[in-house]
Amino acid sequence: MNLEKVIFGFFTILACTLNFGFFVGDIDRPELHHPTELFATIVVNLIALVLKFGDRTHIGATHLATSLAACLQLGAAGLFWVWELHVRGIALDAGSTSTIVSLSGGALVANLISVTLLIGETLRQSR
Amino acid sequence: MGDVLYLILRRLRAPLITLIVVYAISVVGLTLAPGIDPQGQPWRMGFFHAFYVMSYTATTIGFGEIPYAFTDAQRLWVTFSIYLSVIGWAYALGSVFALSQDPTFRAAASRGLFVRRVARLRQPYCVICGYGRSGRAIALALDALDVRIVIVEQDAQRAAPIEIEEFRAPPLVLVADARRPEVLREAGIAKPECRAVLALTGDDEANQSIAIGTRVLDPATMVIARVADPVVHDNLADFGGVHLINPFETFAANIGLDLVAPEVLQLEEWLTGVPGSLRPETLKLPQGHWVLAGYGRFGRAMAQMLRSAGQSWQAVDPNIAPEDEGAEGVAIGKSAEQGLRECDIGRAVALVAGTDSDSVNLATVTMARRLNPGIRIIVRQNKAYNRALIEAAGATVAFVQSDLMTHEVLQALTTPLLNRFLGQARRDGAGLARRALARLDEVFGKRVPWVWRFDCDPAQPGMRHALSQADGPLLLRELLVDPRDPQVPMLAVPLLLWRAPTAAASAHAARGGAPLTDVFASATSAGADEVVLPDPDTPLWAGDRILFAGGEGVEALQRRFLLDPSPIELVRTGYEPPRSWLFRRFSSPTARSAAARPRP
Repeated sequence: MNLEKVIFGFFTILACTLNFGFFVGDIDRPELHHPTELFATIVVNLIALVLKFGDRTHIGATHLATSLAACLQLGAAGLFWVWELHVRGIALDAGSTSTIVSLSGGALVANLISVTLLIGETLRQSR
Repeated sequence: MGDVLYLILRRLRAPLITLIVVYAISVVGLTLAPGIDPQGQPWRMGFFHAFYVMSYTATTIGFGEIPYAFTDAQRLWVTFSIYLSVIGWAYALGSVFALSQDPTFRAAASRGLFVRRVARLRQPYCVICGYGRSGRAIALALDALDVRIVIVEQDAQRAAPIEIEEFRAPPLVLVADARRPEVLREAGIAKPECRAVLALTGDDEANQSIAIGTRVLDPATMVIARVADPVVHDNLADFGGVHLINPFETFAANIGLDLVAPEVLQLEEWLTGVPGSLRPETLKLPQGHWVLAGYGRFGRAMAQMLRSAGQSWQAVDPNIAPEDEGAEGVAIGKSAEQGLRECDIGRAVALVAGTDSDSVNLATVTMARRLNPGIRIIVRQNKAYNRALIEAAGATVAFVQSDLMTHEVLQALTTPLLNRFLGQARRDGAGLARRALARLDEVFGKRVPWVWRFDCDPAQPGMRHALSQADGPLLLRELLVDPRDPQVPMLAVPLLLWRAPTAAASAHAARGGAPLTDVFASATSAGADEVVLPDPDTPLWAGDRILFAGGEGVEALQRRFLLDPSPIELVRTGYEPPRSWLFRRFSSPTARSAAARPRP
């Protein structure tokens, strides 16, 4: 067992599961999407991004690219939330909630690709 | 660039993750800590405000407690966060500074910079592998000729002084082993701007690797290698395409020429001197018995030369190589004075002080002068800073390896045709040299001429017309006429006509395979495609290259023949043709034929 692989896999999968946890639920109901879960998703995705730094292989580059895409989407979702709540000063309504959740949905796709890569890599190793 | 970026990302992974975790813990804690708003209602800080507070707190800016005054629970958590985040930042910044000082990182960064700079070079440059005494002298000389320099040197200590050396354009330096192909590639040997690769390291094997590597990676690049070892020399000569310079043998051969065929040496010195200066005098070294103090590579080369020149010689060396022990004419392990006496210094005509120690050489010279006041001295100078001492010794000739290498390399780079001509002269012996000297003497007197090459390049507008053979072939003599006034001949002597083998063959075929004209009778004897001292009536073909020696400014005048068809027309017909279409229509055929004089 390789500890580095464990940590890498843990963060990659945790990024995906947290993202899914935030995403799941009716897209336009603010009470189903908790801000702490979005925060945790952003933090874990950032850690996963940094973990993917410095791998020069082709699959490593693709990993990094999926994480970059996910972080970009989640960052946009977080910023949009801050904008609605603090700058415009209005509580989340159905429209803005669905924007935030759909952005996190995009990040979820990127995270799913990342997990697929991880599984594919693992299968190739065992063969 | 890729290397550096990846190294930074890889090394900074741990500090970045630490920072992310520290921020995440602090922010989450702050959102959980119970607060009270101005109305006294329980209140929790949102993520946005928590992140804002942590951002200015962690970076020790400290804007105070917003949006409302903190409760003691929040203050407790912020206190904890301050210590946590300061530790996180200290670790992250410490890692960044450590990385910037890291030798691996610095090497990768400077190498990335070097590769980018080489890739951006858009002017001719030479790659010098090995920055020793010769490398330095050649780099400075090429720099003075406006050639950019790329230096690859293995030893960082040796490469360090390049930065403070007075170059006009700073050389690009890479500290790496030039034997490795990727280093050669990074040094830009395969770029079209690369004029030559000079393998000048102190190690013959390394020079061999560099030369072969360069030839394999890019066969079009010119390679010049310094090689003293006969085995390596033969290897590279067999490999082909590498210009080899053996400084010891070159010097010995020059001395040998002075003894056997002084005209050849005189011709060489005359043509390779500084243009416009007085022509150098010959050495006039005496025939007779020679003493060699020092029997290393230099001493052996001199001994071999003396043997083939039919001179008697004796060598002495206190620490002789094992394979030379007991060799004929070599004395061992004597004190300097005893050794010199044993070598018959009393009846010797010349002494070669050729050890690799300048002080030993100077001591030997002094000793020899005492024993035989009239003796001629050839002394080897090893260290550049000993030049003054060696000059004070008043030797007839000083052998300075870096000077000789510079001279040879520049000659090979700037006028390769001159090298071919001088090679012919060496092979031919005194006869050709005497003829050439006579020609040069009658044209230039006691001055060193300018030497240049003229290309009959059909891509040039002037030459395309002249070589089209519409008015008969272009003759060599027509290039020797002043384009401003056809009555005046220019002060120039054609030394060598070089013809590409395919051009000679195809031109020959175009003439229906008739026997070559008598002009080329000498060419067949001297090599299929080179004519030494060509006859002025030689017809020129496309692709011909002619080596000229001439007065100042003649080269510039001759270049006018390339740029524009009218000067060559003027020279050939004595009549300047109208250039524009309209005037060509108006100039009647009769006027043209009247103006055209029969050519001599």
